Amino acid sequence: MLLANASTFDFIGQKLLDFFSYTGFANVEWANIIMILVGAFFIWLAIKKDFEPLLLIPIGLGIILGNIPFKDAGLEIGLYEDNSVLNIFYQGVKLGWYPPLVFLGIGAMTDFSALIANPKLMLIGAAAQFGIFAAYMAALAFGFEPNQAAGIAIIGGADGPTAIFLSSKLSPNLMGAIAVCAYSYMALVPVIQPGIMKLLTTKEQRKIKMKPSRQVSQTEKMLFPVVGLLITTFIVPSGLPLLGMLFFGNLLKESTKTTRLAKTAGSALNDIVVMLLGLTVGCSTQASEFISWDTIFIFAVGACAFIVATASGVCFVHIMNLFLPKGEKINPLIGNAGVSAVPMAARISQNEGLKADPHNYLLMHAMGPNVAGVIGSAVAAGVLLGFLS
Amino acid sequence: MKKLLSAFSLLLASTAALAQGARDFKFNEVFVSQPQSDSIQQASYVDEYGQRSSWIEIENTSYSTHNIRNCFITINPAVLDESMPAPEREKLMSMIPAGDPRTNVGPKQRITFFADGNTNRGSLHLNFSLPANKAFTLYLYDGNAVDLIDSVRVEPVSAGSSWARKNGAEWQEADAASVTPGSPNQVSDNNKIKEFKEKDPYGISMTLMCMGVVFFCLVLLFVFFHIFGWAMNRAAKLARVRAIRAVHEQAVKVVEMAKQGTTETKGVDMETYAAVIGLALHEYFGGTHDLESGVLTINQNNHTSWADKSHELRIVPQVHQTTEVK
Repeated sequence: MLLANASTFDFIGQKLLDFFSYTGFANVEWANIIMILVGAFFIWLAIKKDFEPLLLIPIGLGIILGNIPFKDAGLEIGLYEDNSVLNIFYQGVKLGWYPPLVFLGIGAMTDFSALIANPKLMLIGAAAQFGIFAAYMAALAFGFEPNQAAGIAIIGGADGPTAIFLSSKLSPNLMGAIAVCAYSYMALVPVIQPGIMKLLTTKEQRKIKMKPSRQVSQTEKMLFPVVGLLITTFIVPSGLPLLGMLFFGNLLKESTKTTRLAKTAGSALNDIVVMLLGLTVGCSTQASEFISWDTIFIFAVGACAFIVATASGVCFVHIMNLFLPKGEKINPLIGNAGVSAVPMAARISQNEGLKADPHNYLLMHAMGPNVAGVIGSAVAAGVLLGFLS
Repeated sequence: MKKLLSAFSLLLASTAALAQGARDFKFNEVFVSQPQSDSIQQASYVDEYGQRSSWIEIENTSYSTHNIRNCFITINPAVLDESMPAPEREKLMSMIPAGDPRTNVGPKQRITFFADGNTNRGSLHLNFSLPANKAFTLYLYDGNAVDLIDSVRVEPVSAGSSWARKNGAEWQEADAASVTPGSPNQVSDNNKIKEFKEKDPYGISMTLMCMGVVFFCLVLLFVFFHIFGWAMNRAAKLARVRAIRAVHEQAVKVVEMAKQGTTETKGVDMETYAAVIGLALHEYFGGTHDLESGVLTINQNNHTSWADKSHELRIVPQVHQTTEVK
């Protein structure tokens, strides 16, 4: 009896030890702890500071989820294990079909009226893309290969889905870091941009009042996605998945006949994709892959890209104002909106405009370059893909 | 009619898709077995039975998977006779049988058929052999045995060599060391990245090119919508002018009638007078609107029911007979 009891205790002890070897406590490394803290910091930023909670909460929790240590025992639980649930969700990122779905939602939610009413604002959206190529040059200087540099550079477009799409094609090994960097800086737009905008404008320039935009007819609104699609994709077919879905979503909205589809694309579908995208991107930042010098360089280059993109948008407005007649001048505070962080960048223009003059409402004017930035960054991604894939 | 159009579009789309799939197959490499050079052919490709024979390699040139089943291969030039009925043509060709998963060819992948005249050995064996030391033409036909997908003239080559497609279209002899059954005819690495690294180490050329393309796209959009916006504005202005003229004409009529002091309405009802005067005053005080012509507001409509209370009732009231109470 005693022998039997001893062997039972041995058995239980052995099994408990075995069980312990599977737990996170037995497999944890310092890198996991650091990444879990990073995830918690993202969640704190989202909840406490209200920095893009729709993005940062899924990403933050994803980072924690991806860094829970476990013993690799073929349980099909990890993101990188074939047939695991997370791996199935991750296919949307890996194969690049989440970003076009997000673009479908963006298209269905975006009103291009401000851009159609004042088409010269498109040029600001184009100028702000210089941030991407400044980052490309910086990444090359850091010693990255051209394809990796292109993946990193697209952070300058301030467009998470585009960054994921391009990096999944050109530099899949850096995709996690690039995606987290892009979304982090997008969330930090209210911190990064105002200082640069103030630095590059005078008090008088910030007070420029722009002429109200003309009313845009429904015909023009319907024509825009069709013409936009034809022009951009004929020139850059490699941008087809992003641009095609963006303009498709917008046509659903503006056709006035598919309101139900536009509503679904812009709300339920978009929310589902954003949740899965954020979670899996966060999960992909496993400590073993994420904590490296490359990640630090990516964050450094990403910051430069955002600064240059903002500055180039503002400076380009100054150049445009040299050629525009009096009364037609553009407030340089809308230059920052040329990056495609919709509508955060436009809101910054509005807030800074109101600080300079409480009666100067720039939001609708800033939406023009902001949506042009979405098109511009997708075109830039398509060009880079065409050159390097 | 709509249903007919939809069905036609669907049919057209599916036909195009089928044709596209088969059309992507191209002959890639042909090896003709030459019995007098057995020693050289020792290195050649062997079939499932360990036999060395002539083979034909076909490539799926597309970026999607297609099945080559039911297509036909032949070297008989008689099939070029377009008047020949399909069943007759099929007899002159070797059909690739269905049911073998190996006939499903992945993107940019190749499938190799053995031209040994022995179809009993499997679905990758054809019912004809290739003539040695003699030029011939290979034909690949679609499943209907009528549409020619690809053809290639195979020239005689030295023993152990193959006749292979190089650089996409041009065919030439590949020596024994370069014979590649089931593999690409030449190894190509992605040298775009290498080229950019060598020739554009600082990224300046890339920046100039990409920014140029981005600006070009958005400038084209700007030009289009600038011109279109101008045209729309002009059209709106013209519509407004027309509306104002119509109002003006009505107003002149009203003023004339007022001067004559007549109470006759001359076919224009009194509500119209009020509308015209109101609209004229509205226009006069700068209330013109680009979307509202105003014409509709003064068109006579004798059957207007905008204020008809019965339209707002959800239940039509019933008339009840009342009983007199004495």
